[in-house]
Amino acid sequence: MANAAADHAHGHDAHADHPTGWRRWVMSTNHKDIGTMYLIFAIAAGLVGGFLSIMMRLELAEPGLQYFSNPQTYNVFVTGHGLIMVFFVVMPAVIGGYGNWFVPLMIGAPDMAFPRMNNISFWLLPASLSLLLISLFVEGAPGSNGFGGGWTVYPPLSVAGHPGPALDFGILSLHLAGASSILGAINFITTILNMRAPGMTMHKMPLFAWALLVTAFLLLLSLPVLAGAITMLLTDRNFGTSFFDPTNGGDPILYQHLFWFFGHPEVYIMILPGFGIVSHIISTFSKKPIFGYLGMAYAMVAIGAVGFIVWAHHMYTAGLALNTQRYFVFATMVIAVPTGVKIFSWIATMWGGSIRFSAAMHWAVGFIFLFTVGGVTGVVLSNAGLDRNLHNTYYVVAHFHYVLSLGAVFSIFAAWYYWFPKMSGRIIPEAIGKLHFWVAFIGANVLFFPMHFTGLAGMPRHYVDYPEAFAGWNKISSIGSYIFAFGLLIFFYGIFKAFTSPVRAANSPWGEGATTLEWTLTSPPPYHQFETLPRISGGDH
Amino acid sequence: MIRWRNGAAALAALTAGLASEAFAGTGQPSPWQVGMQTPVTESAIFLNAMHDGVNIVIALISLFVLALLIIVIVRFNEKSNPVPSRTTHHTGLEIAWTLIPALILVGISIPSFRLLKMQVELPKADITVKAVGHQWYWSYEYPQDQGGGFGYDSYMLDPEGAKKANQPNLLAVDNELVLPAGKTVVVQVVGQDVIHNFAIPSFGVRMDAVPGRLNQTWFKTDVEGLYYGQCSRLCGANHAFMPIAVRIVSPEKYAAWLVDAKKKYAENDAKPVQVAAE
Amino acid sequence: MADAHAKNHDYHIVDPSPWPFVGSLTAFIMAVGAIMSMKGLAIGGLKAGPVLFGLGLLGVLYTMAAWWSDVIKEAQVRGDHTRVVQMHHRYGMIMFIASEVMFFVAWFWAFFDSSIYADEAKSFLRFEFTGGHWPPHGVEVLDPWHFPLINTLLLLTSSTTVTWAHHALLHNDRDGVKQALWLTVILAVCFTGVQAYEYTHAAFGFAGNIYGATFFMATGFHGFHVIVGTIFLAVCLLRVYNGDFTPKQHLGFEFAAWYWHFVDVVWMFLFVSIYLWGSHWGAAALPH
Ligand code: HEA
Ligand code: HEA
Ligand code: CUA
Ligand SMILES: [Cu+2]
Repeated sequence: MANAAADHAHGHDAHADHPTGWRRWVMSTNHKDIGTMYLIFAIAAGLVGGFLSIMMRLELAEPGLQYFSNPQTYNVFVTGHGLIMVFFVVMPAVIGGYGNWFVPLMIGAPDMAFPRMNNISFWLLPASLSLLLISLFVEGAPGSNGFGGGWTVYPPLSVAGHPGPALDFGILSLHLAGASSILGAINFITTILNMRAPGMTMHKMPLFAWALLVTAFLLLLSLPVLAGAITMLLTDRNFGTSFFDPTNGGDPILYQHLFWFFGHPEVYIMILPGFGIVSHIISTFSKKPIFGYLGMAYAMVAIGAVGFIVWAHHMYTAGLALNTQRYFVFATMVIAVPTGVKIFSWIATMWGGSIRFSAAMHWAVGFIFLFTVGGVTGVVLSNAGLDRNLHNTYYVVAHFHYVLSLGAVFSIFAAWYYWFPKMSGRIIPEAIGKLHFWVAFIGANVLFFPMHFTGLAGMPRHYVDYPEAFAGWNKISSIGSYIFAFGLLIFFYGIFKAFTSPVRAANSPWGEGATTLEWTLTSPPPYHQFETLPRISGGDH
Repeated sequence: MIRWRNGAAALAALTAGLASEAFAGTGQPSPWQVGMQTPVTESAIFLNAMHDGVNIVIALISLFVLALLIIVIVRFNEKSNPVPSRTTHHTGLEIAWTLIPALILVGISIPSFRLLKMQVELPKADITVKAVGHQWYWSYEYPQDQGGGFGYDSYMLDPEGAKKANQPNLLAVDNELVLPAGKTVVVQVVGQDVIHNFAIPSFGVRMDAVPGRLNQTWFKTDVEGLYYGQCSRLCGANHAFMPIAVRIVSPEKYAAWLVDAKKKYAENDAKPVQVAAE
Repeated sequence: MADAHAKNHDYHIVDPSPWPFVGSLTAFIMAVGAIMSMKGLAIGGLKAGPVLFGLGLLGVLYTMAAWWSDVIKEAQVRGDHTRVVQMHHRYGMIMFIASEVMFFVAWFWAFFDSSIYADEAKSFLRFEFTGGHWPPHGVEVLDPWHFPLINTLLLLTSSTTVTWAHHALLHNDRDGVKQALWLTVILAVCFTGVQAYEYTHAAFGFAGNIYGATFFMATGFHGFHVIVGTIFLAVCLLRVYNGDFTPKQHLGFEFAAWYWHFVDVVWMFLFVSIYLWGSHWGAAALPH
């Protein structure tokens, strides 16, 4: 414990910072160990979230009620799926996992700025996920378990509609997850602004660090508003307040504003780290520096900033005034421009390159295309006039799975195959990573592309059952989901192979194109890296 | 370059073709449909046309990105191009890929704002009805001063009932919302308990039914027929089972129906539609 | 690598610590206890909610105390807080306050949504409730020129005394620091006392009406921050008696002062918008 170490002088000796056994993990103050715990946590949560979604797809494979004799249970599954994927899979993976691992390495720092706080950011998550899982098994709506009001938790359904304790567990779960993320955001901002190695100016900083910097600001400024909103829900539910209850002067639409003021930045929180990851992979395997570095960095800043003033594009059918809708249409469309800059700069980075199609590169190139497909349907939705016929249909579900399940998750797998040798010192056979890619690519498209069709034809979201006419495409979607999920077996087989094979990873396995600092270290890096800080030379971009 | 452009155009034409009416249902979805339901109101026709246009634009953009990726994959892989270039800047290109998307968006926004105005600005109503969302059914109210003064509930028919009525399961209801063709109908949408959403794809209408909030939307169609919609806001267990069915009839039939309905629903003793002072 | 194990930088490589885990665990217990209390739930027939909540709360408080004791030890005894580490802490505190500001944005949003749009006819139920104006009809608001004004003066004064303490500390005038901090803490406690008195005499409650909800949520959350700030200042006072802080290094004190100013600024916004503008004096007279 810290007290015991207090009598040591300044430069304490080796054993004090090499804890072993359970203490190494539970009491960790090491960014790489904490990053590893985050990644394992995300994979475990991914299995839960994936399981829920496969159950949903099984139900939706055919019209009629197959597995959910109580339709409310289906709603509970959807809600749990959404919340888990967002808060316990994507965020922990890209921010807590890869961010923790690689931000300090890339900027030449020995650790995060607040190593102990880093650990509570992690440990709050199992506590938070436990609350969410408990929520599934206690009463929500009268007579059924769990909260089934969607991940957006709109009142009055989330107040009057769910009197049982399920949602109270859900709300406190989000409070803990929020606290975890706010502390993490403070940590990343401080680390990035203050711990760059000598000579590492902001304009020389790797794009992944830029991505996390912007992400952290989004977290810092948006999450407290969500926390406020759900606190008001909690008091409406339990202490008779009427923030969202019109009979006593409140307003249900107020909740929607507050939620989406957080919710929209949240979607960029999930994708910006992916942008950073993809930039490095593209540059590494094209053996070229990133094209238009400054444009890339400031495009992310622009996306983050504009992301705060577009929230009501989720509320076009709430009855907003004409001018309000006009403004949000305009503001939302603006975001396509900096995003386009990113897409084209990636392609320009590859242009003229000498590209090696490694497994990671497969995922990164797949990301670019699939994210574009998801992004352009976002532009369709941003037009309030068109959204009139698309809001709350499967078109929206298709849009956001293209940017999330095929965007964010593809970036997670890209990073996995890119950084796994560095993190573990072991090697996943490239063929396995590529096979996983092709299975996932085909599966995910078969799964989500038809949702555009059912959505255009008018199939609403959150439906446990649908008219016969939608049966065809839904069947296809479900088959796609089985293929996508099957890909996970390949993923785990790759990990199994890596740990059972005697082959060890080189320090810089990807060759000359990999120019960021993590590749100058051993694989895996020493417990404490950069005991002597690296010096970065050369001019700004 | 020429070759992929042709391909892109062909594919875009294909998507547009697929989205055309041939595959679409009127008032309801049809199997393997890939586009929107056939529009029957002015704003829905505009909506569909604009969607067809924007759809081509986004398809072209996606295909353009895909084409670039394929070129890169073919031309700049390790084998074809062993020595990478070091180019990291090209001002002209950077300006182009900022400016051109911005112009495309401006182009999209012109019809978009027109459509939006058409949808949101309410014209003078010939008929005003009120649609109230409940867990889990709709109720409709016809105001006194338009020959109404009654209201009734509209529940989904069970599978048997739907079959008997020769209507699609999960869409058929017991008491339809009946309205005349050729008249401007303003619908006041309110939620009774939680938020529901009153949506009719063929009309291009979708409006949240929020407790305590009087939302209004409108439509006008000349095409008689039966149009289905479904509750489009998660509202609890039976969210999937509170469809909307609107029957558009000739004004004469409507007048006759009003007389019948008044008798039939008289005992319901519905409150007259209250329009809050605006 | 263990052999060449020399740290050649000024960053603080923190020792392993049990507090993050203990803190999370106790926060979890506290959350479960809170829900069980609110919902009157029982495990095996036992209504353990309040007990669990209490235990969890104690655990969280203990964690905070232990954690910050470690931090103080690292600063005072071990000298881990080099210049750059101090810089980290400054950044961290600024970010923390920024996030708190966004928290208040949520309460203010709720307040302005209901007060500015109290006359929106479209929201007919709310219109019915408020009568189309703010404060809603039937609500007897507090006179801003009474206790709220006194509280404003108390807080403003305490802001100056805390600045006085800072100057005294910079000039190594330790008696001055003690005096000024004592004054600040006393003013802070007075504020809380006045606020509590006012709460018990308010003619409206937290529950059942939007006026009370927005009022108590915003001012209550602020009041909570006042209490936290008071404890923070009191800890600093204690540390002054313990001989902590030097004119050069006194981050703990600075942060308490920053926090206190933040609490003060929030109050000014509350006073102007909720008490002044939101009373008959203001919002009701809006041209509608
Ligand atoms: C990673 C997550 C993510 C990302 C990145 C985005 C990105 C975007 N989203 Fe998406 N969105 C979600 C996640 C995300 N979204 C989620 C989860 C929901 C549903 C929430 C719920 O209700 O549960 C949602 C819903 C949603 C809606 C509400 C739909 C509705 O409920 O009716 C809208 C409406 O405007 C929208 C718009 C956009 C836009 C314009 C972008 C833009 O940022 C996209 C920009 C990208 C591109 C445009 C492609 C690349 C650009 C080019 C190649 C340049 C050329 C392009 C043009 C000129 C068009 N999104
Ligand atoms: C990141 C977010 C994410 C991801 C990955 C997914 C993945 C999937 N989702 Fe989605 N989904 C949402 C976010 C996501 N979803 C949200 C927010 C909603 C809305 C909820 C609501 O309305 O309340 C939703 C709703 C939703 C619906 C609509 C339900 C309805 O409205 O009735 C459906 C229906 O088919 C669906 C299906 C699926 C399927 C089959 C997958 C499959 O792709 C899943 C297969 C599983 C995996 C691929 C596992 C992934 C594993 C990892 C990511 C871990 C990897 C980690 C490391 C390597 C470190 N989801
Ligand atoms: Cu009513 Cu959904
Ligand atoms: Cu959004």
